[in-house]
Amino acid sequence: MDDTRTGPMDDTRTGPMDDTRTGPMDDTRTGPMVVACIRITDLRPQIEPLSGTVVREPWSTGLSPADAAALEYSFRIAEAWSGHVVVITAAPPSADAVLRDARALGATVLRIAVGSPSSDQAYVDELGSDERAMAGMIVAALAPLGRPSLVVCGDRSSDRGTGALPAFLAHELGAAQALGLVAIATTDQESMVVAERRLDGGWRERLHVPCPAVCSVEGAGVRLRRASLTATLATQRTEIPQVTAAGGPGAIRGAGSVGPAEVAVGSVRPFRPRTRVVPGPDSDDPRLRLLALTGALVAHDPPTVVGPIDAAGAADALLTFLIRHGYLDTEPVGEEAAHEGTR
Amino acid sequence: MSAAGGVLGSGHEVPGGIWRGISFEDRMSTVEFRVGERAHITVDSDVCRSCTTKACVTACPANLFAPTSEGGILFNYEECFECGTCYMVCNHEGAITWTYPDGGQGVVFHQG
Amino acid sequence: MGKANMVPAASVSSDTPVFDAVVVGAGPAGSATALALARAGRSVVLVERGPFPGSKNVYGGVVYGRVLDDVVPEWWNEVPVERWVVRRSTMMMTGTQSVSVDYRSAAWGEAPYNGMTTVRSRFDNWLATKAVEAGAQLVTSTVATGLLRNAQGRIIGVRTDRDQGELRAKVVVACDGVNSFLAKEAGLMAPAQASHHTLGVKEVLDLPGHVIDERFGLRGDEGIDIEMLGCTRGIPGGGFLYTNSDTVSLGVVLSLTHLAEAKVRPEELIADLKNHPSIAPYLRGATLREYAAHLIPEGGYDTMPTMITDGMLVAGDAAAMTLAAGLWLEGVNFAIGSGLAAGRAVDRAIAAGDCSAKGLASYRSDLEGQFVLADHKRLRKAPHLVLSERIQQRYPGLICDLVDGMFTVTNPVPKQGGLRVTRSAAAKHGVKLRQLAADTVRALRVFG
Ligand SMILES: Cc1cc2nc3c(=O)[nH]c(=O)nc-3n(C[C@H](O)[C@H](O)[C@H](O)COP(=O)(O)OP(=O)(O)OC[C@H]3O[C@@H](n4cnc5c(N)ncnc54)[C@H](O)[C@@H]3O)c2cc1C
Ligand code: SF4
Ligand code: SF4
Repeated sequence: MDDTRTGPMDDTRTGPMDDTRTGPMDDTRTGPMVVACIRITDLRPQIEPLSGTVVREPWSTGLSPADAAALEYSFRIAEAWSGHVVVITAAPPSADAVLRDARALGATVLRIAVGSPSSDQAYVDELGSDERAMAGMIVAALAPLGRPSLVVCGDRSSDRGTGALPAFLAHELGAAQALGLVAIATTDQESMVVAERRLDGGWRERLHVPCPAVCSVEGAGVRLRRASLTATLATQRTEIPQVTAAGGPGAIRGAGSVGPAEVAVGSVRPFRPRTRVVPGPDSDDPRLRLLALTGALVAHDPPTVVGPIDAAGAADALLTFLIRHGYLDTEPVGEEAAHEGTR
Repeated sequence: MSAAGGVLGSGHEVPGGIWRGISFEDRMSTVEFRVGERAHITVDSDVCRSCTTKACVTACPANLFAPTSEGGILFNYEECFECGTCYMVCNHEGAITWTYPDGGQGVVFHQG
Repeated sequence: MGKANMVPAASVSSDTPVFDAVVVGAGPAGSATALALARAGRSVVLVERGPFPGSKNVYGGVVYGRVLDDVVPEWWNEVPVERWVVRRSTMMMTGTQSVSVDYRSAAWGEAPYNGMTTVRSRFDNWLATKAVEAGAQLVTSTVATGLLRNAQGRIIGVRTDRDQGELRAKVVVACDGVNSFLAKEAGLMAPAQASHHTLGVKEVLDLPGHVIDERFGLRGDEGIDIEMLGCTRGIPGGGFLYTNSDTVSLGVVLSLTHLAEAKVRPEELIADLKNHPSIAPYLRGATLREYAAHLIPEGGYDTMPTMITDGMLVAGDAAAMTLAAGLWLEGVNFAIGSGLAAGRAVDRAIAAGDCSAKGLASYRSDLEGQFVLADHKRLRKAPHLVLSERIQQRYPGLICDLVDGMFTVTNPVPKQGGLRVTRSAAAKHGVKLRQLAADTVRALRVFG
């Protein structure tokens, strides 16, 4: 029967290509090291209402939007730096499918075995319990691979993630930290990235982050790329390297003597919107001034009926309204107008 | 309508019936959608203007077809079950362009 | 980010198959096909568009597992079961009345069992894992967007929505479910017709296991299935209620054409059902866990597509194989049965070195010999009868009034005799006794 089998097929039936390859999945680990430190969770865990037990289904594990964004930014920055990406997670074996996908995208992957293979509940409890020790474990596991130039994490996860891990990581590595970002981009110097963070009122601050750094990103703005079919098939049966949870906190500490480098924020003044100057009424009669101020006798704008119109039309109508009422200058707001710190 | 159907239709008369409580938004919020960037279904509102049945409006289990005042249809693809009801009940050629969302995107049933 | 979705067909550089088979869709049909092929030592890729097998799939709730006997010995010890169905009720209802025929069997609660309630995310995963363990390669989050053909137009694989996304194989097995765009693209199936489809909408409701046990008279892992007729405001179809471990699945199945004409929203019909005096007490305090909808190919034998062409087979719902025999639906067992048969046929064809329609023809004869097509052929008229106007709209009321006439204690007025009750109930519901007799004969012919 087997004699009729075709092509390059071998008896282990691994498909057209094995996990030894070139191109996007090249694994030579040259250049700066960008680490995506991600948490692989059940995206919709069942919580038993009475006991609070978290029931994770192994097949519905995946990356939260924040962790997916962290991974995507890692690839983008590693590409810009001609570096390489290492994906690390502390998780039970149910995370391996997600790690294989990351492998298919060309990353080196590493799983710190925590929890018991049979109970994901233990894993969830363990993760929540001591994030400082967790950070120590991660740094120790990364040590043999070299010193990371940048570590990117998601800023929150759906199951008990507190968002504190990146800060502990930065401490362990002696790295700068910038958390809760919406964008990270490279600069012309390899020792610096710029990052953006949301502020109130639709404003953003732009941070200059010296490397090594730990950044955490929100799940917004970018989508994780998809691996090619060839790469996906090739990594189907890849063994995921595992390290056991040893080492503990303080296994390595960044350069030891120097403290973490500081993030430069353009300006530390709080942002206050400009006040709108309304000229005082110029009557001598207090009654008239009062009337003018309250507008009691002034004819009001009738309510504006907008739409149904398309999105672009609605945006224009809104902007016109805001400009007419003095809330905006006539230029449209955009990336250029983003708060550069010095304003 | 027939006897059987007619009587059951009177379910509406149960005032504050315990099961009427759930709003459509709450109903849909029980379903996971991994919303893709590409609209996998598009509706040509110009074709719909000449449609007299508007069958999609009531038949779509996710209630995604909203009739507009000019007789067209406003369609949102995000919370779609990918069931196929709409293109099957629509008898206007070209009104609905129907594809599956990109791999891994779209509805994810956990209790199917 | 978003790379091109489709790989142009022009890039088919070589016609050499890389795999023995590509199976599209990791539902029960696809996983069974892949399992059979992998066990036979063939190289097979199973492509699924959802993030995990079962993530796109919805059904009512009962799998008739005997089809697994030959595949997984003592499957009942490892299958992810919610409850074993030991009790089955058929309920005829009007807005305020219901008559149930209730059957309970102790034998159904013991191996090899009859039916089990299970959840598709778990069941489909289990079956797909079986295929992977046997050596199949499962690729999730990947849509098969079209067929690859060689210069002569013969099918040589599928195209997917990933980069470098072509999969060349000796045979493509389309197990892509009710909407099967692959079967349509191959010209095996006519464009979709609403009249051959029903829409199923379902609510999964949280209810603690011990409450389910008490309310439905169950114990341990015993379950019940209830099928309902007359609860859909005259729209041909029916309702169902199945018990899982600590949830209840409740839903309605509706003729698409009639649903569209009736201008009723599907979730209203579920709400009707939940409010019905015969159902509401079962569900008191239950909360919605998940709402879902899916189509069902209910045309039966007479609407099945051609299932075989050069280099391709169609199995499961893609080949319209759900059997709407009575009020209940059997689809998963037929999907598995046809998938296993497809796997065997592909294996034979490859061994014989002929993957043309002729080489694959044993698929059809295999199906005809088994329950898969035998049952479908025998019950080919069932969908028409079950969805007929009289069965749907008149009989439930008729039967309820009949029983009402016999059970209601009317003294001091004397009770009417049986035939008079029947005649007056029948007259009220516009059913002639001749029709009643004729439908009985028809039902006996269809199901007998
Ligand atoms: C409301 C309802 C109630 C039902 N009740 C029962 C019941 O109680 N018992 C019973 O036995 N049956 C029941 N059925 C029928 C049963 O669900 C189906 O017959 C069965 O699921 C068919 O299996 P399948 O593998 O052929 O198709 P599906 O289960 O539909 O699987 C098709 C698979 O293909 C994938 N797919 C589709 N297109 C592509 C593509 N282009 N690329 C990649 N992947 C693709 C889909 O994601 C899906 O996973 C019910 C159906 C419904 C809708
Ligand atoms: S989508 Fe079809 S059925 Fe719906 S309004 Fe448009 S033409 Fe009519
Ligand atoms: S596929 Fe189904 S859920 Fe989606 S728009 Fe069409 S009818 Fe609605």
